[in-house]
Amino acid sequence: MMQTVTTQSIRKQQPKVTETITFTKRISQIGTIALALLLGFFVLVYVLLPIYWMVKSSFQTNYEIQSVPPLWLPTQFSLDTYRDAVTLIPIGRYMLNSLFVSSLTAVFATTIAAMAAYVLARFRFRFASLILGIILFTQLIPHITRVFPIYFFLQDLGLLNTYFGLIFAYTGFSIPYAVMMLQSYFRSSCPPELEEAGMIDGCSYFGAFWRIVLPVSLPGIVAIGTFTFLGAWNDFLWASLLLNRGELKTLQVGLREFMGEGGTIQNANVFMAACVLATIPAVILFIFLQRYMINGISAGAIKG
Amino acid sequence: MSESRKNLFCYLMVSPALILVVLLGILPMLQSLVMAFQEYNLLTIRRVGTPFVGLDNFTTLFSEPLFLQTLVQTILFVVIVVGFVIILGLLASQVLNQNFLGRSAIRTLFLLPWFIPPVIAAGIWKWLLNTNLSPINAVLRDVGLIQTNIGFLTDTNTVGPFSLPMLVVSLVRTWNGLPFVTVMLLAGLQSIPSEVYEAAKIDGASAFRRFTDITLPLVRPIIIVVATLLSISGIGYFEVNYVMTGGGPRDLTNILGVYAYDQAFTFYRFDYAATASSVILILTSVIAFFYIRYMLKGD
Repeated sequence: MMQTVTTQSIRKQQPKVTETITFTKRISQIGTIALALLLGFFVLVYVLLPIYWMVKSSFQTNYEIQSVPPLWLPTQFSLDTYRDAVTLIPIGRYMLNSLFVSSLTAVFATTIAAMAAYVLARFRFRFASLILGIILFTQLIPHITRVFPIYFFLQDLGLLNTYFGLIFAYTGFSIPYAVMMLQSYFRSSCPPELEEAGMIDGCSYFGAFWRIVLPVSLPGIVAIGTFTFLGAWNDFLWASLLLNRGELKTLQVGLREFMGEGGTIQNANVFMAACVLATIPAVILFIFLQRYMINGISAGAIKG
Repeated sequence: MSESRKNLFCYLMVSPALILVVLLGILPMLQSLVMAFQEYNLLTIRRVGTPFVGLDNFTTLFSEPLFLQTLVQTILFVVIVVGFVIILGLLASQVLNQNFLGRSAIRTLFLLPWFIPPVIAAGIWKWLLNTNLSPINAVLRDVGLIQTNIGFLTDTNTVGPFSLPMLVVSLVRTWNGLPFVTVMLLAGLQSIPSEVYEAAKIDGASAFRRFTDITLPLVRPIIIVVATLLSISGIGYFEVNYVMTGGGPRDLTNILGVYAYDQAFTFYRFDYAATASSVILILTSVIAFFYIRYMLKGD
């Protein structure tokens, strides 16, 4: 409806012009296109140059990356950096840590969030909108405002420097976002008729949710699960505080440590190789789930 | 089906999520607020505990030049990031919405930064902007625009609260956040039927007019959502600044999130950390309040 209104109003606003497009108009049109292309090109360079620089540097020797002016292409393609990345930084171990923590977070958070999101989307009950308000508010408030109490809280529970402590924290942090996205997903893309039919056939409420709603909503749940996974995978703040001892370190904490504080990065080529390795899992995930994710995010984010 | 069974089911389904949100969201937030009014000094905690000190922490922080500088820089950071993200996001979504050869490949490439964790993003950019080895400096020298290399992360010249490192850090944060915004805007653009544009074209509207009169009004709700979310997260932002510069040089890229973190885990002043967090909490709550009202009204 909104669109038709706009079409009309635009038609009304525009004065009728003669059909011949004047020369100056054509020039300005070409100008607009050229400008757009130029700006588009700059945006592309801005987006891609760092990624190119990371990949390029990861194939260079330590001597080569120090050359002035910088080389745009590696002269000898060296894979030693990758060997060093695996040996100097225990990147395999860090990656497994991150993988473990992030996967369990995704599973727990998505399950708990799906349960809550489902009833919030489908049923009217007391305090439903209050609960939704609390969840939305929690999602919006930056993590840094609750770092210290949670740090002490987990310390009191003896959960500092345990996988469980970090998974517990991540699960709690992921839930608001997952609930918000999933409840709008259930509203927009999951027809209630299916469960109603199931319940007439004798399914309990929970049975209908478990056997009908969840399987039908799998695409949305996979999308949200992926985001939850990435949220935990990308996090540095919490991991650096709650799980920073020796072997348990997550990838982000380990990389940051190798980078060192301030100044220039030591062994930048090795660091870049580690970065490439650390990016690969997320990129694979992205390529497989691209469709789901873009649909999921736009369905959840845009009101309608 | 009885009403009470339905209610029981609803509460049972909601409770795990609600418990976690309260335990790890609401309660710590409130506790942080309380801590802001207490003295929390590790040296004296054994003797006197954590006595209430009223507004002392606030008055101390607000009379401290570094805190005020940080506060101003935080606002600057948010403004630059939100501005850049929206302008570049609009531009990118316009370009990616056109039909051209290799569009889906370019789209995928364009979304890549989204999947690069902030720590790695900060690391890559730090390397890319290394004063002596930066390809950007090399290009600028070749073109003849500069004689001496630009110290992207070390230049301490300032114009008001504005400095080159601050710009750089904001651009890195923008780089990380741009794909998300572009996807949102793309989704918005795709919901506009092409007939609208064709009609406008027939009526002789220029590309610029089509953009300002059709595209902008229709993606405005998305822009509002994105701007709000980014402002909120910007006020409490931490990662890129902490990893890239640690707030330096000369605290020029220090923002509230980094400040609060440092107070707690570098100086062990948990009361000042909590007070700084409370300032973040207050600033974000105000924005969040209006945002939630806007979102719930739509449902």
